[in-house]
Amino acid sequence: MRLFKLTFATIFQRKAWAICMLAVTTLPFALPLISSATEKPILVQPARILAAWGTLWFCTMVWGLFTAAHEGERNAKTGVGEYFQTTGVSAPRQLFEIWLAVFSFIVPMALITAAICQFAAAPADPAERAVWWTLNLQYLALFLLVMGPLMALATALASRFGGITGFAVTLLIVLYGLYGVGYLENMLKLEENPILRGLWVYSPHYDFADLTQRLLFKRGAIPMDAFWSLTLYFAGITAVYTALSRIAFRTKLSA
Amino acid sequence: MNKLAPSIRLDSGLEIGYGSPLARFGQEVKLTGGTHFLLARNGRGKTTLLRTLAGTQKAVSGKFQVEGFLQYLPEDLRFDPAITPAMVFKMLIPKARLGEALDLAKRIELDVKKPYGRLSTGNRRKTSLIMAELSVKADRGNILLLDEPFSGLDAFARQAFEEIWKESSGNVLRLVSCHPDYDSMEMPSAVMIEGNHARHLNDAGQTWSELKNLMN
Repeated sequence: MRLFKLTFATIFQRKAWAICMLAVTTLPFALPLISSATEKPILVQPARILAAWGTLWFCTMVWGLFTAAHEGERNAKTGVGEYFQTTGVSAPRQLFEIWLAVFSFIVPMALITAAICQFAAAPADPAERAVWWTLNLQYLALFLLVMGPLMALATALASRFGGITGFAVTLLIVLYGLYGVGYLENMLKLEENPILRGLWVYSPHYDFADLTQRLLFKRGAIPMDAFWSLTLYFAGITAVYTALSRIAFRTKLSA
Repeated sequence: MNKLAPSIRLDSGLEIGYGSPLARFGQEVKLTGGTHFLLARNGRGKTTLLRTLAGTQKAVSGKFQVEGFLQYLPEDLRFDPAITPAMVFKMLIPKARLGEALDLAKRIELDVKKPYGRLSTGNRRKTSLIMAELSVKADRGNILLLDEPFSGLDAFARQAFEEIWKESSGNVLRLVSCHPDYDSMEMPSAVMIEGNHARHLNDAGQTWSELKNLMN
């Protein structure tokens, strides 16, 4: 795991992660104070939930994907990937070790966010409170299942096409999956179109993994059957992205 | 087979290059533990040969065999500008040899606490060389393919590495591409690419002064 250690130490040394960690930890408490929630105390909890998950999504999409892409490009461009390959660390192994190093910074941020929601934004009603942790855990699992493979894809694309491409493509995919598919669905409600319908069906529905509204409106945990179906759906996307990442990943730039 | 004895065998007819052949070995070449220099003029295939042996590039035709734990140090290998040499050593060198690496760094005047991005070319080269040299495995044969390790390196550091090379010539085979800068440099074993022909010159007394006259 020498490449994992080197990549982890490099990211740690750059210190940008600390800004994200600070944002994830403090913004859920600071942002409600400058919103209308201060006038209506009942809004503090929803504002905190919104700030907590919003900050996490933002930090992961911007810093996480950028870092994953940057590390993939650096590995291929600087000779580090080629060096490790000659020592017997295969391309899939390098991709895994780089991905793991970046993901190791995202997981604590996601855990902090879930903990803030659990302990600083839980509903007062005992019945709602009882399923709160289940919903939090479901959100945490789906979030990690969505962002994990995208990070591998960012690293892989960047190693072949450059850091900007790796970052921009994955950022667009996640934005489209979170918001674009919703707009597409609205368009289809107005006017049916078989091509757009096909596009919608095969789009990554990341909006299914965004449970912020469910937390805000205290709709309770997702029924387990539906949750496992969602897990399977995102596992399928993971399999596709893993295969694409494996094909795209390069340990050195082509001569 | 002796696990501690590294070896490289280049079969007769081996051709290296990118698509079309850059150089061809007319005779079989066998290299064992010790230092072997790889000499050629610019663009004649030194890096291509090293990459071929390292397995990161395909040979145009022919076969070769490499026995031992391999490390290829590309000429342009560089670490992240934010990281320090001390961190590179800590992450990449086995714990048991970390002290040795730091001692060597001190001896050749490499500031291990300075960010890599602020190091001179020579000091960056020292970082990579220490990392590779101290990563060799004691329990088996090792092969180090070093691409221009001396460029930017001061004479004192170069001497320090040459001493290490002499001490560990038993279980480490080093193939070193370089452009020597003094005529009396001893090169008892040299793989030379002349034109598009490659061959092995093996003579205890041969120096760079004699070998450079053979290059065209």
